[in-house]
Amino acid sequence: MFHTLLDARGLEKSLGGKPVVQGIDLTCAAGEVLGLLGPNGAGKTTTLRMCYGYLRADKGSISIAGHDLAREPDQARRMLGVCTQDDTFDADFTVRGNLVQTGRYFRPRQPDLAARIENVLDRFGLREFAEQKPDTLSGGYKRRLMIARSVIHQPRVAFLDEPTTGLDPQARVAVWELISSLRAEGLAIVLTTHYMDEAAKLSDRLQVIQSGRVRANGSPADVLGDVVGEHVVLLPAGTQADAALAWFRSRGLRPAQVLASWHIPLDAQGLAAFVAAFPDLTYEVRPPTLDDLFLALSGEAPQ
Amino acid sequence: MNLTTFAGAFQWQSRAVLARHVRVHLRNWHTVTLPPVCEPLIMLLTFGLGLGSQMGALRWQGQSLDYMHYLAPGILAYTAFMSSFFQSLFAAFIRMHFQKSWEGQLTTQVRLEHVVWGEALWAATLATSYAVVVCIVLAAFGAAGYLNLHWAWLPATIPLLFLTALAFSAVGLFFTAILPSIDHMSLPFFLVIMPIGFASSTYFPLPDVVGLREIAMLNPLHHLAEGLRWLLLNGEPTWHLAAATGLGVLLLMGLIPLDMRLLRKRVFGD
Repeated sequence: MFHTLLDARGLEKSLGGKPVVQGIDLTCAAGEVLGLLGPNGAGKTTTLRMCYGYLRADKGSISIAGHDLAREPDQARRMLGVCTQDDTFDADFTVRGNLVQTGRYFRPRQPDLAARIENVLDRFGLREFAEQKPDTLSGGYKRRLMIARSVIHQPRVAFLDEPTTGLDPQARVAVWELISSLRAEGLAIVLTTHYMDEAAKLSDRLQVIQSGRVRANGSPADVLGDVVGEHVVLLPAGTQADAALAWFRSRGLRPAQVLASWHIPLDAQGLAAFVAAFPDLTYEVRPPTLDDLFLALSGEAPQ
Repeated sequence: MNLTTFAGAFQWQSRAVLARHVRVHLRNWHTVTLPPVCEPLIMLLTFGLGLGSQMGALRWQGQSLDYMHYLAPGILAYTAFMSSFFQSLFAAFIRMHFQKSWEGQLTTQVRLEHVVWGEALWAATLATSYAVVVCIVLAAFGAAGYLNLHWAWLPATIPLLFLTALAFSAVGLFFTAILPSIDHMSLPFFLVIMPIGFASSTYFPLPDVVGLREIAMLNPLHHLAEGLRWLLLNGEPTWHLAAATGLGVLLLMGLIPLDMRLLRKRVFGD
């Protein structure tokens, strides 16, 4: 039986007088991966930072495994682990030292911390680097260390902020496997990413944030349907596309150009009208992907 | 005044941050112990013995004494000031800005008040330990017959050195909070270290410059140096010690909440 471990309601945050998060609700259950998506500046990291207690929410409440983050900060923070976007390990310690030191920042202490560290070193493939400084590791192993550090105290909720950014495909897959295994252990995982394949593969549920508000929430298929529509028309760029583009724009649609083609999300009715209006035009129609979602949001978001 | 700001100093998270700094320091003990040993040694040899022999006796509070005896308590006071200020400014800035170890700590049960107190307590602890090393060097000079101090008072100076070092660390953290980049690090040296050092009677008696003595009355380093001098040369605890304590407490009460507010803005953009 899944139960909610992260329950954030009505989060609001302004930074430098500018509203960044405007009434976001966020929930994540044990054994669930919630993918937070949105263009740069949408408010994903700020939302995450409020949820793990780095930033104070101007409004709203956050509960971690039943502990209110504002009223019981120590108990709530004991239940969460964080892998930040940047590498924030302690450069003065070795890989093992980082795990030991992080364990010391939590009370009650992990009762079998030494054994837990040995276990995590093996599980995250860090054993052979245990006595090295983190800055000698490759990008993939640095991210492994960041994730290992975030779960060393056996939290119930893990926040992973763009955990695979900058990694090669092989290293990304290795991190995906680690995240899947953490989910299998029953952790509630909140993940932000810019990689749409990653979001689709790892997330049980997606929450799309745009301009500090939740734009869509649900399974990847539901979210695509809500935001993008049922079909995407790929129209080769060129003078023959001008009339079609004008037609789309006159109907309030915003075609997005990707290299040599225009991408236009359409519902079934819109597609039928387009086919009828331009019977001689050459184009491709395919189902939408999360990349289309991102393009659609980027096109709508104020830059 | 928000009491929780000061309660943070006594919470386990601040001790965990302090313990982290101690652990890193002790791992490099063989290299990091050299400066606090060498600096007073060089100062006492070059200035105390070398320059002192050229100067002859100088007048202090109606007494005639050689420069070595004038200098010894001053070195002790200056060590507490300089080590603490440097650690809480330069080293803390690097940890905050470049190493991002603050950000790593802040994703655990450690909160900003604990990071700030951990840095301040570490700066004061390190400065005090350096001052203890200076005490040992002074004792060695005493054993060699170059110094004659009221040695029994030396251990009693440690708590005061810790308190004033803690106060100076609050000044250092203020600059950590406001300096835009490491390129501006020379500013506090010109704006704080040099003026406080020159207006303090640590290394030479205050010259008769209009207003300088009045300014020195507000300088905790001046009172610390003079208080230690009276204590170690004459065996007399004077009002300077109380003034150093009072000004130190005032600095802490005024600056730590301000540091927290400024650092909150700097670290969180909040």
